[in-house]
Amino acid sequence: MSNKQARVPLPVEDERTPLKARKVSFSWEDTPLHWVPGDPFTTHTINVLHLLLPAGERWFVHVYKQVLPYIRDERLREDVIGFIGQEAMHSQAHDEVLPHLKELGLDPTPYTAQVDWLFEKLLGDRTLPPGRARRWWLMERVALIAAIEHYTAFLGNWVLNAEELDRRGADPTMLDLLRWHGAEEVEHRSVAFELFLHVDGGYRRRVRTWATAFTALVFLWQRGARFFMENDPTLLDGKASFRAFYVRGRRGVLPSTGDMLRSIPRYLSRDYHPSQEGSTEQAVAYLASSPAAVAALAAEKGTK
Amino acid sequence: MPRLRTVVAVAGAALLARRAMRRRIQASPLWPMPALDEPVSGRPRTRALRLLVTAHEKVADGVVRLRLEGHDLPRWEPGAHLDLVLPSGLVRQYSLCGDPEDTSSYTVATRLVEDGRGGSREVHEQVREGMELEVRGPRNRFPLVAAPAYVFVAGGIGITPVLPMLRALPEGTDWRLLYGGRTRASMPFLEEIEKLDAGQGRVSVVAEDEDGLPDLDTLFAEVPEGAAVYCCGPEGLMAAVEEWAPQVHLERFAPRSSTEGNGSFEVELRRSGRVLTVPADSSVLASVRAELPDTLYSCEQGFCGTCQQRVLEGEVDHRDELLTDAERDDSMLICVSRARGGRLVLDM
Repeated sequence: MSNKQARVPLPVEDERTPLKARKVSFSWEDTPLHWVPGDPFTTHTINVLHLLLPAGERWFVHVYKQVLPYIRDERLREDVIGFIGQEAMHSQAHDEVLPHLKELGLDPTPYTAQVDWLFEKLLGDRTLPPGRARRWWLMERVALIAAIEHYTAFLGNWVLNAEELDRRGADPTMLDLLRWHGAEEVEHRSVAFELFLHVDGGYRRRVRTWATAFTALVFLWQRGARFFMENDPTLLDGKASFRAFYVRGRRGVLPSTGDMLRSIPRYLSRDYHPSQEGSTEQAVAYLASSPAAVAALAAEKGTK
Repeated sequence: MPRLRTVVAVAGAALLARRAMRRRIQASPLWPMPALDEPVSGRPRTRALRLLVTAHEKVADGVVRLRLEGHDLPRWEPGAHLDLVLPSGLVRQYSLCGDPEDTSSYTVATRLVEDGRGGSREVHEQVREGMELEVRGPRNRFPLVAAPAYVFVAGGIGITPVLPMLRALPEGTDWRLLYGGRTRASMPFLEEIEKLDAGQGRVSVVAEDEDGLPDLDTLFAEVPEGAAVYCCGPEGLMAAVEEWAPQVHLERFAPRSSTEGNGSFEVELRRSGRVLTVPADSSVLASVRAELPDTLYSCEQGFCGTCQQRVLEGEVDHRDELLTDAERDDSMLICVSRARGGRLVLDM
């Protein structure tokens, strides 16, 4: 690549850990519709994750399966394989929340069918001639994933530290799903970016795909929150607004607007490396105590 | 100042576009994204259930019927089977023989096989009322198709998938059943079958100790045109029926040949033109990776789906918890699933 950076950012100290998928399972029977008590807006804003992630993370896996042959570094290859397993599990875990929402009277299908279209068709393989065009589209998608992973790591780090949710009595099963997922996102936060640097790494592409990913995330998220608020069977006049988001960010039940804005220049900095954000130690510590992850470990030991 | 004018024009256009969009979105909230006709997310999957054994009773010599209770169980179609995870971890398939509309319990029946692989012995001797068992399914590899007439041939415990079929056939359907077994005492559900026949002579019960071997010649001599033939029973009986009716629908309740549940089998990789043997103590994935080191995999426990491969030929013993029934028809997770027969052909 002619526009490859001369300077490759290096990971901080020893933030690397071997990645493995944990076979978690959650039972949703006892989770109420508004699992952050008395706060439908916060609940539904976070619920948008369940709309986007099943299709989105399935798409990550689909794209990464194709990029494996381009990897010439054995260690990175192992990381990517571990990443694929973790993402596939995330996708499934969030997918299983959807039938529960439906049972509670909030059918997510109209929205998820569109998200499915976005990832399966618009961002799918497309009919391209083999060679440059196909490679370009693959690299573009790898860069998109790196940009999205910047935000999943940001959110993962946020939810691990969002003690306000505990104080407000949020549903423990849902918090465990979010924190297990968040912790694994923090744990593997460097993989997507390192893969992007390894196979392409162009700065222009990084900026371009960041702009696309950021716009799409904002668009899909506000849309999802509005969709949930308007279709919630218990709300008469459910509305989502930026103001509500801003206010809850200040309270600490959602990420704060300021933190989100400040994370933008960090990703666009030429010295950016994901290991500068969040802490693997905290993530691994959570995974060691997460009820779902502990049960997964016990089940795995039992069968071997 | 031309620059200021451009900025004002762009900002104005953006504002107008935003207002137009907002109106449009308010009118139909899901505008402007298209949707998939068949959404993928949120679809039901084959999931493991834990059910309570509420009845464990002898219904014929060497045959035990189990009733497994739960709530909101998935419905099933006649011919469907369950995967039962026995206390030792063995996984065995049993045809459902209860009422498909009953969503609070499943019924299966199993015969004790003296020299079997241990599954039936476990069901008979270790499973007790009040125990919880893990089940997967139901899945149907033996579906009842629409046909002008039906011929059923059941050998012994092979009656289990046939029984719900008989119950499901509409009144007045042209069907006949040949039900063979060693002795009448060892043949379950005789009473109910005779009731279903309602004295119309559509059922012939052949007990080997009284009548000798069943006479397939007579049965097939008068098979109506276009009849669908279903057979479930011992290997010899199914082979004989297959000679008479090559289009027969077969349901095997034991793996073909002597292949053990965890025995070795052969895998052909059609695209790369290789044939390999998967040993009993190793996975398809491990053997394939020895030949094709770039083969994808991740969790190696059958839940991430990375190692999914297309199956061209052969019957698969699915041991994952991820694939849907439709996916199971033509693909498998090679990290955990194995061959049910002695051979598989993969598209790789």
